[in-house]
Amino acid sequence: MEQGSEVFRALADPTRRALLDGLFSRDGQTLNELCQHFPEMTRFGVMKHLSVLAEADLVITARQGRTKRHYLNPVPIEQVANRWISKYAARFTSALVALDDQMIAGHETEESRRPESA
Amino acid sequence: MSLNAHVYQIYIAASPEQVWAAVTESEWTRRYFHTTSFVEPPQQGKTYRTVGVDGRPAIDGVIEEMQPPAGGSPGRFVQTWHTLYDAALEQEPPSRVEWTIENAGEGLTRVRLVHGNLDHSPLTWENVKDGWVWILDSMKTLLETGHPLPRVRDDQSLTVPVSS
Repeated sequence: MEQGSEVFRALADPTRRALLDGLFSRDGQTLNELCQHFPEMTRFGVMKHLSVLAEADLVITARQGRTKRHYLNPVPIEQVANRWISKYAARFTSALVALDDQMIAGHETEESRRPESA
Repeated sequence: MSLNAHVYQIYIAASPEQVWAAVTESEWTRRYFHTTSFVEPPQQGKTYRTVGVDGRPAIDGVIEEMQPPAGGSPGRFVQTWHTLYDAALEQEPPSRVEWTIENAGEGLTRVRLVHGNLDHSPLTWENVKDGWVWILDSMKTLLETGHPLPRVRDDQSLTVPVSS
């Protein structure tokens, strides 16, 4: 699967977004620490979500002695934003700017016409 | 690894040797790393210093480890990181940047970057957080297309210039 698809799939789930938010506010948490944010979920459930995030490269694990810590990797989100979001945002903004230009032009034409008709 | 670290990972369609050159050789760094280059070629155990294209000092520190990728084992480039480009950041103690450059398949390299030892450098922690994302993306783009990312303007986030 293309990397972008994995990122969108990973972000589609509210629990996984909450896991990313948890790492955003405090990076480098262990599985136990992350599980505490989701008392209603089993440890296995949290692990499954973490593995989807890891497949999308959004979460990186690193061992520190016997402890496995989880880190948020912001790179794939930035790439998806560059590839998919800024392009459309820019087009939308430029369309608004063009519309604005037309309205100003139209307004000026009307203004310049008015003295003649008066 | 320090708990207070930033961790980044990116895949680049290039060989580990090409990525290694991009990280350690000035001819490459000045094209994607805010124009900065090493004053002297970096050497393990020696101090280093980088400067911008205008000659202004950027970073200095010590190269703690410099092991190019070879025979399937990953490349390791570990540098202490003391900021010179900003007076407030300059007051903070050195942190540590660790590059690990590893083959991830035919023509594919995995780059992992850990910026750690930031426990006593809160300003640096905040300053480099988003900066590395851009540097890594720009390095990837340069290696894959031959051109770095265009420079980002502060006012460019959501608006486009009105064509005249």
